[in-house]
Amino acid sequence: MAGNNWIRRAHRPQWRFAFLAGPGALFVVVALLLPLLSIVVFSFWRTESYELYADWNLDNYRALLSEPAYRIFFLRSLVMAAAVALTCLVIAWPIAYFIARHGGRYRLLLVLLLAAPFFTGIILRVTGLQSLFGPIGLVNMALGVFGVAPIGVLMYTPVAAGIGLVYLYVPFMVTAIYLSLVNFNFELLEVAKINGARPWRAFIEITWPLNWIGTAIGLVLVFIPCLASAVTQRFLGGPNATSFGMSLAQQFGETGTWALGSAMGVLLFVASLLVILAMRRTIDLKRSGFTGVIGG
Amino acid sequence: MPAAVLRLQSVTKRFGSVTAVDRIDLAIERGEFFTLLGPSGSGKTTMLRIIAGLEQPDEGQVLIGDRDVTALPPYARHIGMVFQNFLLFPHKTAAENIAFPLRMQRVGRAERDERLAWALKLMRLDGLADRYPNEMSGGQQQRVALARGLISRPALLLLDEPLANLDRELRSEMEVEIRRYQKDLQIPFIYVTHNQEEALTMSDRIAVMRDGAFEQVAAKTEIYTNPSTAFVAGFVGHANRFDGSLGEMAGATARFDWKGIALTVPKPRHGQPGAAAQFSIKYEDLEIARGDSGTGLAGRNSIPGTLRDIIFKGQTANYIVVLKDGSEIVVSSAPRELDLQPGETVTVHWPVDRGASYQA
Repeated sequence: MAGNNWIRRAHRPQWRFAFLAGPGALFVVVALLLPLLSIVVFSFWRTESYELYADWNLDNYRALLSEPAYRIFFLRSLVMAAAVALTCLVIAWPIAYFIARHGGRYRLLLVLLLAAPFFTGIILRVTGLQSLFGPIGLVNMALGVFGVAPIGVLMYTPVAAGIGLVYLYVPFMVTAIYLSLVNFNFELLEVAKINGARPWRAFIEITWPLNWIGTAIGLVLVFIPCLASAVTQRFLGGPNATSFGMSLAQQFGETGTWALGSAMGVLLFVASLLVILAMRRTIDLKRSGFTGVIGG
Repeated sequence: MPAAVLRLQSVTKRFGSVTAVDRIDLAIERGEFFTLLGPSGSGKTTMLRIIAGLEQPDEGQVLIGDRDVTALPPYARHIGMVFQNFLLFPHKTAAENIAFPLRMQRVGRAERDERLAWALKLMRLDGLADRYPNEMSGGQQQRVALARGLISRPALLLLDEPLANLDRELRSEMEVEIRRYQKDLQIPFIYVTHNQEEALTMSDRIAVMRDGAFEQVAAKTEIYTNPSTAFVAGFVGHANRFDGSLGEMAGATARFDWKGIALTVPKPRHGQPGAAAQFSIKYEDLEIARGDSGTGLAGRNSIPGTLRDIIFKGQTANYIVVLKDGSEIVVSSAPRELDLQPGETVTVHWPVDRGASYQA
């Protein structure tokens, strides 16, 4: 009898759903939430001579707030992430628009081409840029041939690091905006024009607000990894580009101060969460290109 | 002669090897309800898009008032347009959609509100101003689209099959309403449809289009009663068509041989005895009688057959008559007029001056 009951229950929709979603949920808990939790816990502990001690305190956070170096690293990463996200936005919109509007039967191919850089690893791509921008890189060598002084701003500066980050993350932005635009009804632009809107006005009134969800997702997808980025700055940025992420990596590597590193991780997590919440506030489902049923 | 509001001068548009609009000349007058009627692919929508400025003609001019607007973009033409799939801005409320043209024209706030109130009232949309398009029914959305098209009192309102997505009952209600707005506002409407009933209900004048050219442009009653070509005759109203050959002509009539049956029909405009021709006669111009009356009805054509079925339509019924060779003729008549039963032998007859014949 009990066995029968069990079988009958297993066929109910909510149980079937539990069987399907269960393994994925388990993975998320074990592989994502537990490490996050442990980082939160470690951030209140203490490290000494490469050992973690579980005596609860706030010293790590105090250090982060009082040491000017950490504040500078954090602000630098924040400015860098914002600048890279905005640059990606400006570069990506016309590309995504062109593919969605005029790509025709090559649309899918063009979007897949955006993934081409992912065929190689991130280190390889960043070193590739290094050999382009560096003192003996392609750009400055070529200038040298014509007797022109090398472009200093490209050699191990925050600008070079920024260009590197834009290069790495622009495909995400293009994809997010493109996915939004393929669902956009371009006929609405004709309607706007007949009703007296010049092309720019039609863009501001119609295209931009109706694709804001895609744009916002793109901004988040670029901003958040850039905020934590370390590798690009290390390879391209030179001494004045030390980022929060680089410093964080150091705590877990050379200096072995795990507790402080964990606190930095928590800080990054909270900052990212705030950015996502702020972006969410800008999205009004009724006004941001969402055409499905709300609530219900 | 009153000045034309819109004038097209030998407007031509080609897409590759297809000529979508072929040297069209047209003048629309103030206060006119003009309909472009034709099957899909006849070029009527392309013509509308050329008038709106969404499409550039390859040749010819478009004049609004006396101004040549051929090279002007849509936003400089001051035209309203209503689309088949409504095309409301989904992120704007009904009021924001309707007031959009006024905002683009930088009309002041006070006047904007006043005109918005006028448009909402005209379209009976009171209370719906703050709804979003996906919170409204199809009929409400269509009225918002009409209000948006009319609010800036454009020189011209273009309507591209605006009722095609509405259900039948709502459609016939909107037909009457749209005609009323047009007559009240005296703004010329150019209405595109493939639905002849819509065209006949609403229009003053109808242009029947085929392959990018006009088959006939005339007042709607003229189009209905005097179609100038076989195509128009077949497209407007419901007609039986007989393909046969012409015999000798006498006065206004001609002999017409159809499958060995000799008929007398109105003489075609062109055509010689012996030439292939088509005779077309509307369902309601035919009459039906019980029994085989032979060919003895004086001054009338008559064809014997068997009644196959009666399709009841309400005010009328379609009597489907099968001839000996299996071909069918449809007669439309008041359903209670005759107490006929399917299977009976009947005679279809009509006066010789009805219908029209065209050289094939």
